[in-house]
Amino acid sequence: MKLWRQNKLCWLLVITCLLVVCGLGALAQTQATPPPATAAAPPPLPTDAPLDLKPAAAPTTDDLVKGDPAGTKTGTANDVVVSDTKKGMTLADIINQVGQNRIGINFTWTLITGFLVMFMQAGFAIVETGLCRAKNANHTMMMNFMVYGFGLFAFWVCGFALQMGGGAPYSTLGGANSLNHEYVATFLGKTWGLFGTHGFFLSGITYDVGVMVLFLFQMVFMDTALTIVTGSCAERWKYAAFAVSSVFMGAITYPIFANWAWGGGWLSQLGNNFGLGHGYCDFAGSGVVHAVGGLTALALALIIGPRIGKYTREGKPNAIPGHDIVIVLTGCFILAFGWFGFNPGSSLAASGNGALRISSVAVNTMLAGCTGSFGAVLYMWIRYGKPDASMSGNGLLAGLVAITAPSGFVNPTASAIIGLIAGVLVCVSVEFVDRVLKVDDPVGAISVHGANGLWGVLSVGLFADGTSNYGGSWNGVNGSVTGLFYGDASQLVAQLVGIATLVGFVFSFSYVAGWIMDLVIGQRVSAADELEGLDIPEMGALCYPEFVLKPEGLRVVSEVAAD
Amino acid sequence: MMKIVGILMALVGWIIPVVSLPLTQSLSARFVASILGLIISLAGILGVLNQAHLREAIWKK
Repeated sequence: MKLWRQNKLCWLLVITCLLVVCGLGALAQTQATPPPATAAAPPPLPTDAPLDLKPAAAPTTDDLVKGDPAGTKTGTANDVVVSDTKKGMTLADIINQVGQNRIGINFTWTLITGFLVMFMQAGFAIVETGLCRAKNANHTMMMNFMVYGFGLFAFWVCGFALQMGGGAPYSTLGGANSLNHEYVATFLGKTWGLFGTHGFFLSGITYDVGVMVLFLFQMVFMDTALTIVTGSCAERWKYAAFAVSSVFMGAITYPIFANWAWGGGWLSQLGNNFGLGHGYCDFAGSGVVHAVGGLTALALALIIGPRIGKYTREGKPNAIPGHDIVIVLTGCFILAFGWFGFNPGSSLAASGNGALRISSVAVNTMLAGCTGSFGAVLYMWIRYGKPDASMSGNGLLAGLVAITAPSGFVNPTASAIIGLIAGVLVCVSVEFVDRVLKVDDPVGAISVHGANGLWGVLSVGLFADGTSNYGGSWNGVNGSVTGLFYGDASQLVAQLVGIATLVGFVFSFSYVAGWIMDLVIGQRVSAADELEGLDIPEMGALCYPEFVLKPEGLRVVSEVAAD
Repeated sequence: MMKIVGILMALVGWIIPVVSLPLTQSLSARFVASILGLIISLAGILGVLNQAHLREAIWKK
């Protein structure tokens, strides 16, 4: 205190100076941190200026000639494509390479999954052939073999254009922007996309790398729908009628509904135009592929009628077992394998736009197939005391069919539930079709693909969990697809409108077309040919020429004796 | 004749939910229209049309 009293003035000066210094410091601090709005923008990156590649430490030619057993020298800065070698690598080169890498990944993914789907034709062929009698094996195989060619040709001529010709841009494939013209009708004050008009013969401006990828992938899907019909009409379908019917379906029936759902048509726009969720959502085609195939199968099975001997005069169904359960179940495995192309590949991408969800899609597919076969085995075991082999296979396929539409929108638990229900549904449906409707379906295609295709479409509206955000929107509606159980009832209504269209329009269209063909060329073979087996009358050669085939009458007698 | 009636029923069952879309904003009304349409379509196909085919079924001859 004494010191304070003696030097009061000095101390006041010191404190004042400190305050001034601190104040100035604080002021300087404030000024040194300008608000973000006034911060100077960083200089633009010189995208066309040569880059300094020394930090990348790319291996020299001398390094590379020594080989690269560890894999650390392969795939470096040396491999980035340079547009101007004199200038050297620029940032623009790297940006372009990144973009092309993403599209390249998506192209590769989509093509390879398309190849897997193509191989499903082999699975369908042997499943159907195994479920038919040996005397019709050549005919059934030949239908499944040639449906690929007939369908492909029709799809190339006009089917692809009608389906996808107005749906661009397909952003994951680089745009495919030439597919940009949709025929649109105006009805009750709203626009309704009906069919595309670009891409006939893949000619003109649609001669484009992105369009080619899309064509291949969509073509194998279309062929899957076509081959469903051959199963329900097997063992009595005239080959010429099958050929015409397949071309018609590949050119018109399938592409029209596929356009409405996938090509930017009116069903996909139910969300934008009418506020119904994200519009009709069908990730990989429970409706577009399987229900279209299954309902067309029902229409033609009605027109053609049941096989001779399938029903007694009182209308009781006789079981007509297939000739080879080994190839039936082998075919089911091939189909389950191909389904990993069918569903995950429908993302049309493995990079960007939320495409990493392909892992979830694949697991959902696997789970639903598993629980589908469980459901069918348990149902048959409980009801008939034996785990029926062919129905186990059909249960597996039913689960896969049902998960096809929701696979991109649901979680694993929902997938398991959807598959389990499908496995039971296919058994109930087969009995209903066989005993109540008295429609002869040798392979159960109407139940596997028709009934479960519709169930799959419906399940999107129930189980979609709102977590799948493919680039921020689906069918042009922002946000994720969400079903009734997760809070969006309008999505369920969109799915119901899709189901009504499948049942009301697709069935009727197929039926009328099939009816006209029946009047013009006849759908069914003669009774004599049917009893003999279609291999010789229709195809000119037996599938198993060294086998001694039992006549129908003896077969019945031997089976009765065995019982 | 029954076949034509069955097909017409199937088509009407499709048109009902489609026409309801621009005519009403109500989700409940659209839901009812969709279910009604489905029932009519299924009745046309599984009931009327199938019955027409069963009348001339090959196993009855």
